[in-house]
Amino acid sequence: MLRLLLQELRFRRGAIIGWGLGLCFFPVVYVGLYPTFADQMAGFQEILELPIYQAMGMTMASFEGYMASTVTNLVPLILCIYAVLNGTGTLAGEEDSGRLEMIVALPIPRWQIVAVKAFALGVALLLILAITASGAAITLATLEGQVETQVTPVGLFLNLLAAWPLAMAFAMISLFLGAFSPNRRTASMIATVVVIASYLGSNLTGLITSLEPFENFFLFRFYEATAEGLERGQQAGNTLVLLAAALVAFGVAVFFFQRRNLTVGAWPWQRGRLPREASS
Amino acid sequence: MTDYVIETHGLSVYYGRHRGILDVDLRVERGEVFGFLGPNGAGKTTTQRVLMDIIRPTAGQARMFGLDCQKDGVAARERVGYLPGELSLHESMRVSRFFEMYRSLQRGNADPRHWRTLSERLELDTERRLGQLSRGNKQKVGVVTAFMNKPDLLILDEPTTGLDPLVQQTVMELVREASQAGATVFFSSHILPEVQAVCDRVGIIREGQLVATERVEDLIRQHFKRVRLSFATMPPDDAFALDGVTVLARDGQSVTLEIRQHLAGVMETASGLGITDIETIPVSLEEIFMAYYGRGNGGHNA
Repeated sequence: MLRLLLQELRFRRGAIIGWGLGLCFFPVVYVGLYPTFADQMAGFQEILELPIYQAMGMTMASFEGYMASTVTNLVPLILCIYAVLNGTGTLAGEEDSGRLEMIVALPIPRWQIVAVKAFALGVALLLILAITASGAAITLATLEGQVETQVTPVGLFLNLLAAWPLAMAFAMISLFLGAFSPNRRTASMIATVVVIASYLGSNLTGLITSLEPFENFFLFRFYEATAEGLERGQQAGNTLVLLAAALVAFGVAVFFFQRRNLTVGAWPWQRGRLPREASS
Repeated sequence: MTDYVIETHGLSVYYGRHRGILDVDLRVERGEVFGFLGPNGAGKTTTQRVLMDIIRPTAGQARMFGLDCQKDGVAARERVGYLPGELSLHESMRVSRFFEMYRSLQRGNADPRHWRTLSERLELDTERRLGQLSRGNKQKVGVVTAFMNKPDLLILDEPTTGLDPLVQQTVMELVREASQAGATVFFSSHILPEVQAVCDRVGIIREGQLVATERVEDLIRQHFKRVRLSFATMPPDDAFALDGVTVLARDGQSVTLEIRQHLAGVMETASGLGITDIETIPVSLEEIFMAYYGRGNGGHNA
């Protein structure tokens, strides 16, 4: 099992380095540009606090607001896209390509195969996020004295790392969709719609009061990408909700993968039934 | 039940409304080489995938070593080497690393270097990456993977596909050696001469149903006979106009017949016409197979 896990991680090594460095570039640039941005926008306080920004819970008037409007808002979204690509590629993608047949033919219970792949996916997400968060924290540390903020490099690192349960929840939902739907394309399509709907829904419920009762349906709502979230850190309750969602999605993925007819490419309700003349 | 390495009862697989296999009753005995024959789409791969618990049956039961392929699949698969029909591998891996990984996951107790010996016999370069290999070399990887842990049962889906004739021969030698060492081999193939050469028994599957399971020689012997009869003078055209008898050729003073029934009647007629010589012409498994599918002489209504 350990060998399978190590191999799974080895397969993801390139993606971890590529996505980690690629995503790292994003906060490094935004954090690095902040002193210049703050200087240039010094006389435009009213623009930085426009009602539209405030309505969306955003403000550019402070480092925390600037970070929340850019880095902590978009890094989790981009990471969730990776989670969808990799989550659907893990079972559905490998089944489509035919690679899963050789793995399932091994004397390993199916649930263990899903568990190993889910674990490897979780480690990959954590490492990508750790590289990204390290880049942001190191950049902030090098700008010491040039940025007026209560947020420490360690605080920024931990805040970005706290997006892991969110990404993990979408990764597990994607894994489940891969075990449930007929092929990777369908699973990716549904998972992408879920991520986008969750992101937009979470933002819209903050803007439109009549939508507030539905806010808990959108997982992005449980990662606080706001200035307050950056200042005080993520709430443990929200993190637990995301981890619980990931766990439930993993459980459902195992349930459907255990029953799946591999290589067939069908929805669960399309399982074959004997025609009447054959069963009589 | 445990006397058979593979045993299926009423095994049926439906893909939605489409038939995969229907009511397949199959028994493969310990140590035998069993050839599974049928055209594309007949149900060979489906049957093998049910045994490996890749596909779940719609009805019926499948067992290996007396163990249910689904409920006790892990224990059963510990003793199986499997070669799928369409082999797909992680392209970035080196062949040697793939073998090491797969060997450890198969939980076998065989010599850890056995894959090296097999690779040498098949002339496979194990330092190359899987993505760099030609189709034939990828097939060799699949063959080595199936054989390397010296399993008790080999399930091979068209093992010689994409291989050149020399390597095909080597693979058939491996099958023979595995069988001599006590392993059971269950393999599907389109190459009928190789099936005839190595198999103890064959099963013929047609449109999802098993239509014949026989020892190779019995199948050939029982199905039809082909004889060339020589006479002092050429017999009349209608001399052998009997049910189940087809005149294949009339050449000089000999007549070539394919006899499905009325062998005694043919002999009696030939005797009356002054037969001088009789020669039995061997019938190949391929001809039997074609007859089952109605493409040979006469067809078969099984």
